[in-house]
Amino acid sequence: MLTVDDLEVRYGRLAAVRSVSLTVARGEIVCIVGPNGAGKSTTLLTIAGELAPYRGDIAVDGDRLTGLASEAVARRGVSLVPEGRRIFGTLTVEENLRLATFQRRDRAAAARDLADLRLRFPILAERYGSPAGRLSGGEQQILAVARAMATRPRLMLVDEPSLGLAPQNVDLVYALLRELRAGGMTLLIVEQNLDRVLEVADRIYVLRDGRVQLTGFVAELRGSDALEQAYFGFTRKRGNGA
Amino acid sequence: MTLILQNLIDAIALGSLYALTALGVGLLFGVMRLINFAHANFITIGAYSLIVPSTNAIATLAIGSWHWAAMTTAVVAIVMVLAVATELIVFRPLRRADPATLLVGSFALAYALQYVILLVYDGRPKAVDIGSSLTEPFLIGALRIPRLEVLTIAVTVALIVALALFLKRTRYGIQIRAAAEDFRMARLLGVSADRVIAIAFALSGLLAAAVSLLFLSRTGMVAPRMGLPLVLIAFVATVIGGMGSLVGAAVGGFTVGFVSVVLQVILPLELRQFRDGFVYLLVIAVLLWRPAGLIQVRAIKERV
Amino acid sequence: MASRRAVVIVAWAWPALSLIALLAAIVAAAALWGGSITDRVVTDALVKIVIVVGLYIFIGNSGVMSFGSIAFMAIGAYAAAWQTCCPRLKPINMSGLPDFLRLNTVDLLPAALSSVTFATVLAAIIGFPIMRLSGLAASIATFAVLAVVNVIYGNWDRVTLGTNSVVGIPRYVDMWIALGCAALAIVAAYLYQRSPSGRRLRAASQDEVAAKAAGIDVPRERLIAWTLSAAFVGLGGVLYAHNIGVITINNFYLDMTFITLAMLVIGGLRSLSGAVLGVVVLATAQELLRQVELGFTVGGIAIKSPPGVQEVVIGVAMVAILVLRPAGLTGGREFRWPLGPRDGEKGRVRSRLH
Repeated sequence: MLTVDDLEVRYGRLAAVRSVSLTVARGEIVCIVGPNGAGKSTTLLTIAGELAPYRGDIAVDGDRLTGLASEAVARRGVSLVPEGRRIFGTLTVEENLRLATFQRRDRAAAARDLADLRLRFPILAERYGSPAGRLSGGEQQILAVARAMATRPRLMLVDEPSLGLAPQNVDLVYALLRELRAGGMTLLIVEQNLDRVLEVADRIYVLRDGRVQLTGFVAELRGSDALEQAYFGFTRKRGNGA
Repeated sequence: MTLILQNLIDAIALGSLYALTALGVGLLFGVMRLINFAHANFITIGAYSLIVPSTNAIATLAIGSWHWAAMTTAVVAIVMVLAVATELIVFRPLRRADPATLLVGSFALAYALQYVILLVYDGRPKAVDIGSSLTEPFLIGALRIPRLEVLTIAVTVALIVALALFLKRTRYGIQIRAAAEDFRMARLLGVSADRVIAIAFALSGLLAAAVSLLFLSRTGMVAPRMGLPLVLIAFVATVIGGMGSLVGAAVGGFTVGFVSVVLQVILPLELRQFRDGFVYLLVIAVLLWRPAGLIQVRAIKERV
Repeated sequence: MASRRAVVIVAWAWPALSLIALLAAIVAAAALWGGSITDRVVTDALVKIVIVVGLYIFIGNSGVMSFGSIAFMAIGAYAAAWQTCCPRLKPINMSGLPDFLRLNTVDLLPAALSSVTFATVLAAIIGFPIMRLSGLAASIATFAVLAVVNVIYGNWDRVTLGTNSVVGIPRYVDMWIALGCAALAIVAAYLYQRSPSGRRLRAASQDEVAAKAAGIDVPRERLIAWTLSAAFVGLGGVLYAHNIGVITINNFYLDMTFITLAMLVIGGLRSLSGAVLGVVVLATAQELLRQVELGFTVGGIAIKSPPGVQEVVIGVAMVAILVLRPAGLTGGREFRWPLGPRDGEKGRVRSRLH
């Protein structure tokens, strides 16, 4: 349902993304992986409308998103859980969640969604009236995802969900993402941790130097040399008993 | 004793005016990192809107002669429209610029607006009488408290409470607070930048209008630069109180007004005229000690 | 061989030389064909150039928007006035002055030099703590400096006559003296921006963190620029005083700050050519608008605008530039040597003698 076609994104004269094309089908989890500086986050931010592309097209279910500002993209059902979570520390947990529902037209459904989220995340329900800045890192990540869910998006973009989190919290977050997919959500995740990616993704795109080096189903690529080659640019020698 | 109490009330009233001005300035700073020099012109134009354009030394009241409720509504409307108009015409095109450019831009706007007033009304200060009944004092025992001071304090408290409720309880209030903390994230959640900024300007205009009427009642005069001393102090207050914190701005404004009056009373006679100089030196001192202001905007502290 | 060398030197100094040549041409034209009005306008503009180039030395290189530099214009102007004006009235009116000033009159050149030195020294002292600040905090602090000077000078009646004007300052600044000082300012600014200190400051203005990591002492470099800047702004104040002959403290407050900043911004904040060009363009515009305010007839129709139009137009122009072309008319670039190879750096020409 998401198509990105020949995207090029520049910072000044520097092209961070040279030519990236990708698709995400409804209900899939697709991960973008690659080394630092490959252009993964830039791609995601451009889809979300934070950055404007130099060239290329972005569409969701046929709706053209290219060049729209971030608030317009959000209103068209694309939600970003950004790197570093960026929850509003001075607002309460409740206000963080409610804020996400303000742009929705379906008020009654939005209210129901908020109630559902409260039930689903007891951690958040406990702290509902506290300033979000008091939550721990893992709790904040849950809040960030819940907040994105509250917009009832058709596509959720997640930027580096494991960054800065303790492993048990990362487990929690990924369990949540899997649950979301089970519920029908479409997810596009940027992730540096290849192991996590192989656990949860249906398909992956490997980016390096602003281009797609490799794409394929995880089931086929798991453990293959092609994956290592694309990610690192080389493969380890396989000797006897390696 | 009575003298001290009267001075105290005067200090609180003046502090209230500065607090309101500082809130108007601090609101825009919090949301868009804009230091709006033109806020002085909002206040000035609010006052000038009461009179007929002329070169007379004693002004003829136009709106100023209406019943106080109608007059207040008219001035508030005029200044709010002016504020939103400046946003549309000047600041929206500059929206992506860095704070220094915004600063220079608002400086230029203030300069232009000041001379527009001069064009229309001429530069001499004019006497304007709208609140003369308010100079009559309340008599409480031996205390004589001018009604205007009571009104100033009451209006300030009412506006602050209203603003606090608005920011805390309403949808737009929450959006403004979110935008003030992290505008880009707010937009990623669908918050409309245009709407939030327009509301912030409108609120800023509302506060300016209130200051305009109260200040005019206090001084009885309009002059093209009448808003300037208030706004300069408001910048000082925003700095001392903590740039980005509305509570800080209000507290800072109030403190500066209060301290001004106190200094006026306690400074030896020869130094009294240099009072403002001491205030500015205080600004520099605070900036050196805490470049982000006294009240650090911490994510943990809840804001107004 | 010698002429090749000369070419290289001229090419290197071209940005500065071209500006000086341009100004000299204007002055020559005014001397030949102009009247007393053009003399006045040109002299005023040249004095402004000294000031705006002074502002540029700090603002253009450090990236910090200073709202307070005009304080040093006031300091320079009043210092010159104290030394050279009104020998008969001074002992009575300015009773607060120390005796060596009150009872003496100093010759013009030493007075000018000492006034500039006074402004420079004060700038170094004031700048020392402030230069640690960056961005908005720095701008507000500099504004506070202007305000403090304004309050002190505006109220210290026995030394400055408070808000009253100081009259009777000897008027000796003509077009040529102003041209000489403007040339001096341009040369100094150019040498500074090409110097290692100037380059370090520019690097810090692009990326303060990286500069610090590279070992650049940012407050120190800023202080150097600030002090050099104040020297020329102070000189501008001295010239202003000896050009107009009358000074009032409010001449050196918000309006002057605005107009000089406008000239710098419109011309182009980050380049020396911008500073000069901004003054030339704006001074011309101001004079034209002033004529419109005074009124003139075109084909039998009288055209006259009310006072204040000038300032409104300039304010609007400034906003327009910020929106449409924030880097100013010159876009932050210097005048380039039109001949010869160009390397990557703006305005620099590789010498053929390497």
